[in-house]
Amino acid sequence: MTLQPLERTDEDRPAPAWCHAEVLVNRPLTERYHHLRLAAPDVAAAARAGQFVMLTAGRDGSGPVLPRPMAVYTRDAAAGVVDVLYAVVGQGTRALAGFAPGERMVVVGPLGRGFAIHPETDRVLVVGRGIGTCSLTCVAQDLAPGPVELHAVTSGRDPGSVIGAEVFREHGAASVRAVHDTDGSSDVAVLRARLCGELDGGPPQQILTCGSERLARLCAELGERWGASVQVSVEAHMACGLGYCHGCSTGGPTGPEESPLVCRDGPVFWLSLP
Amino acid sequence: MSGPGVTAPARPVDLSVRLGDLELANPVMPASGCFGPELAELVPVHRLGAVVTKTVFAQARPGNRAHRLGESAHGMLNSVGIPSRGVHGFARTDLPAYQRLGAPVIVSVGGLSEGEYWRVTEELAGTEHAAIEVNVSCPNLERGGVTLGSDVGAVRRVVAGVVARTDVPVLVKLSPDLATIDAAARAAQEAGAAAVTVCNSFPGLAVAPETRRATLGNGTGGLSGPAIKPLALRLVWQAAQAVTIPVVGCGGIATAHDVAEFLVAGASAVQIGTATFARPFVMTEIVRELPALAARLGVTRLTDLVGTLSF
Ligand SMILES: Cc1cc2nc3c(=O)[nH]c(=O)nc-3n(C[C@H](O)[C@H](O)[C@H](O)COP(=O)(O)OP(=O)(O)OC[C@H]3O[C@@H](n4cnc5c(N)ncnc54)[C@H](O)[C@@H]3O)c2cc1C
Ligand SMILES: Cc1cc2nc3c(=O)[nH]c(=O)nc-3n(C[C@H](O)[C@H](O)[C@H](O)COP(=O)(O)O)c2cc1C
Ligand code: FES
Repeated sequence: MTLQPLERTDEDRPAPAWCHAEVLVNRPLTERYHHLRLAAPDVAAAARAGQFVMLTAGRDGSGPVLPRPMAVYTRDAAAGVVDVLYAVVGQGTRALAGFAPGERMVVVGPLGRGFAIHPETDRVLVVGRGIGTCSLTCVAQDLAPGPVELHAVTSGRDPGSVIGAEVFREHGAASVRAVHDTDGSSDVAVLRARLCGELDGGPPQQILTCGSERLARLCAELGERWGASVQVSVEAHMACGLGYCHGCSTGGPTGPEESPLVCRDGPVFWLSLP
Repeated sequence: MSGPGVTAPARPVDLSVRLGDLELANPVMPASGCFGPELAELVPVHRLGAVVTKTVFAQARPGNRAHRLGESAHGMLNSVGIPSRGVHGFARTDLPAYQRLGAPVIVSVGGLSEGEYWRVTEELAGTEHAAIEVNVSCPNLERGGVTLGSDVGAVRRVVAGVVARTDVPVLVKLSPDLATIDAAARAAQEAGAAAVTVCNSFPGLAVAPETRRATLGNGTGGLSGPAIKPLALRLVWQAAQAVTIPVVGCGGIATAHDVAEFLVAGASAVQIGTATFARPFVMTEIVRELPALAARLGVTRLTDLVGTLSF
């Protein structure tokens, strides 16, 4: 599968800022995921679907030295709040879980270039897996209420790691498929058959995906079948989030030029089969 | 007017420093590779003493494979591998963006051979920049980890060649990967350097035993951040004893107090790298805090702290 940067204008990327955001909520949401709500009015007002923030989990000279990239799960410009869902997987996310409501966290954002929905598009399929679904939920916020029909697949290992279904429903998605490994519903072949059965008659023009290579491949195949374009949000280890540390390059050295940077040219890229 | 609650204005504190012919309004600048014009979106970078570019090479370079970054205890490892547009692309695209920032621009120059440093310097001759920093110390380039900076003779030749090809002051950023830093610092001074920067990241390795693989795509990387501060302080102190030119301290600096530690150990100015990632405002905040810190330490000129260490 190959990644290509989207053609972008400066309008796609609102200027980021840093702030000492107050933690409003920070608690376990499911067995696997935590919910963090931050008072960050500038990010809430500006963030585009698929953009992310850098969260500094280190405090007072201790804890992780690198901030951690996290997708904006949902944002409420009127309330000035940003919601993030995160999985505790290591030192950085463990430190994030240690913040209590009322504490302040250094937040930089919004960052990166998110998903682009074309004006002619009238049907969109989003396919997320695990925590990767967090990059897709703002798409539902942006499309509601509107003429574009949204179909959502959210996949996870078990029912507790399937997230975002309620956000998609709340924002009027035409269909929401919550699938998981425990009952086999997330199996790629099963999913392919289901999606073809339901959407071959009226396929989407755009597919957006995040969180799984296998599902990204499925999306690329469905894209070819339906003549739909596919955008994928990818991850990389990051330090600056802005484009100056060159830590988040997508690939290996393929020529004299550096591969695209996930934080600057992405995290959302065009995806195609080779 | 004075009265209760109105404190007399503190005596102004002189923050300015000289590195040879390079005059800086204050001693705080970014470390190469840990800064870019992008940061101006977040903080008033014109308040910095200077800005330092990412190291530029003669030819375009793609940099290393992912992963390029990893967290380690009180620090981070990077094997970015210094991607570069090459000096032409740099002069056309990157340098103008640095020039617009409103602080003196120090161009970091790298090379894969002695002659490459000279070529880059020659190519830069027609462009506007306040100084050059010769990066003889990058620990993670292709050459089997051997750095040019570990060969004192090579340091001398490279620096002399750069000095001969430029009109601006030349800083030499030394490698920490040396038996002693004295000889390399002296070689830089004798070759005409205006200052030495001490030091670059320390060569390191992170291992994932589960997969038997190095966690960085390149294998080894450079360790930076608070973990290296005591190591860098010692090297600064040693280098400051070995040479009469100013020393620029670098390694793990994250607070105004850290800056004061480096000045006392012998640095005249400082560079800040890793700390900026988690706290993008750290450099400009330190600039703002320095006068109060100087006052607390009983000096009116920050330079009065330089090299005052005793045991
Ligand atoms: C644009 C973007 C958006 C993201 N959004 C979210 C989100 O909404 N919610 C969420 O929980 N996570 C998200 N992530 C992933 C998140 O940043 C990492 O899980 C986190 O940095 C891990 O930090 P840690 O210190 O806890 O784990 P570590 O101890 O650093 O690592 C634990 C494991 O995670 C891997 N890892 C470390 N950093 C990353 C990374 N940046 N990306 C992928 N794997 C990594 C390591 O290789 C290791 O296997 C996002 C990443 C990116 C790049
Ligand atoms: C991501 C990253 C990229 C770097 N790139 C360069 C570089 O291009 N040239 C250079 O001389 N040093 C480079 N360095 C080293 C820093 O300039 C600095 O010497 C080192 O990180 C120690 O300082 P710190 O602890 O404040 O980060 C880099 C460091 C990091 C973390
Ligand atoms: S995270 Fe620094 S360039 Fe992308």
